[in-house]
Amino acid sequence: MSEGPELSEAEAVAAEHALGVLSPRESAEAELRMATDPAFAADVEAWRARLAPLTLAVAAVPAPAGVWPRIERALPANDNAEGGAQGVRFWRGTAVGSLGLLAASLVAVVMLANQPPRFVQAPAPIAGPLLNASLTTQDGAPVPLFVAAYDPTRKALIITSLVKAGADPGKVHELWVIPSDGKPRALGFVEPGKSKSIPMSRELADSMAEGSAIAVSVEPPGGSPNPNAPSGPITAVGKLAKI
Amino acid sequence: MSRVAGGDRSALRQLYDSTSAKLFGVCLRILSDREESEDVLQEVYVTIWRRADRFDAARASVMTWASTIARNRSIDRLRSRGMMAYAEPIESHELPDGGVSAEALLVAAGEEGRLHKCLSELDDRTENVIRTAFFGGVTYETLAQRMDTPLGTVKSWIRRGLAKLKGCLEQ
Repeated sequence: MSEGPELSEAEAVAAEHALGVLSPRESAEAELRMATDPAFAADVEAWRARLAPLTLAVAAVPAPAGVWPRIERALPANDNAEGGAQGVRFWRGTAVGSLGLLAASLVAVVMLANQPPRFVQAPAPIAGPLLNASLTTQDGAPVPLFVAAYDPTRKALIITSLVKAGADPGKVHELWVIPSDGKPRALGFVEPGKSKSIPMSRELADSMAEGSAIAVSVEPPGGSPNPNAPSGPITAVGKLAKI
Repeated sequence: MSRVAGGDRSALRQLYDSTSAKLFGVCLRILSDREESEDVLQEVYVTIWRRADRFDAARASVMTWASTIARNRSIDRLRSRGMMAYAEPIESHELPDGGVSAEALLVAAGEEGRLHKCLSELDDRTENVIRTAFFGGVTYETLAQRMDTPLGTVKSWIRRGLAKLKGCLEQ
């Protein structure tokens, strides 16, 4: 095959984002850029569409009989009929990944600042709006160390560490949520530079609200010896707020 | 799909009957674990149910759209496993692909056939690394570690491969 033309730097990044090879941090940057740069967003969506047929060639395997009954039980009420933003976020709508969701929430913030009308009309998730938090050091540095989003529909907290990978060797970063009752609940560990989606119990999920605090403490391996409170220093803290 | 968007469960069941084997195949391809694939397959159909109103037939086939959801959900699950998932060497990861090419041969035309034809025109290493990235949910850093190759080299393989792919698809 003859040498194709080089991709421009912007399109190369768009293609890399669609392929999924960027680091969590670069992906979040790409999502932000999609919100502010329509040409870049169009490139990413074109690349998603170009690569999507790869999944079609995978051999089919009949699903076990037990799956459908589980799906039926899990179906929430479907109120799509009122959805107003049909097609606007078509390919992004498929990017429900932890990072995609997180970045989409960052995107929404930027969209509100730059071009409010269209995005504001996007239908809210069924179980309530996404809540977001930027976790910063307590001395008020402007750059967040972690970003978190609570998705009430999935009852999950999506956390992304912007801490350099490999930081704090021999320690773990433990995630805490402090709902309105003021009692910290441990949610597990966040690896530096990684993002993850943490499912929450129904009870805890129901207590999540605007103003709930999210914090990260630095703990010995295995986490805080006290299950009800951090033992190490709180490295970053933030409060959930609607977009 | 419009019936699914309107809340018709029997329409979702019909969609399930015609697409679940393919989507289960996608989940298994990425996760290599039946139990996890069943969990993810369930999530996929609940997602389809919730997002059916976003489906736009002018943009893609139902199968492409649904498969993309299955891929993304599976990659989420893979990433949530953490570093263990990345221990697999790249060659073995690509071995179970026999079914892919066999089926690809059957697809004489259409978007799928064209993409496979164009991918097969890349050199084997580049095709392999693009497929691994797509199905493995792995970053440049992980690819570079697995292949024991500098990150910049892997990046230039992929960028050149993607540029050629685009050129081929536009012919």
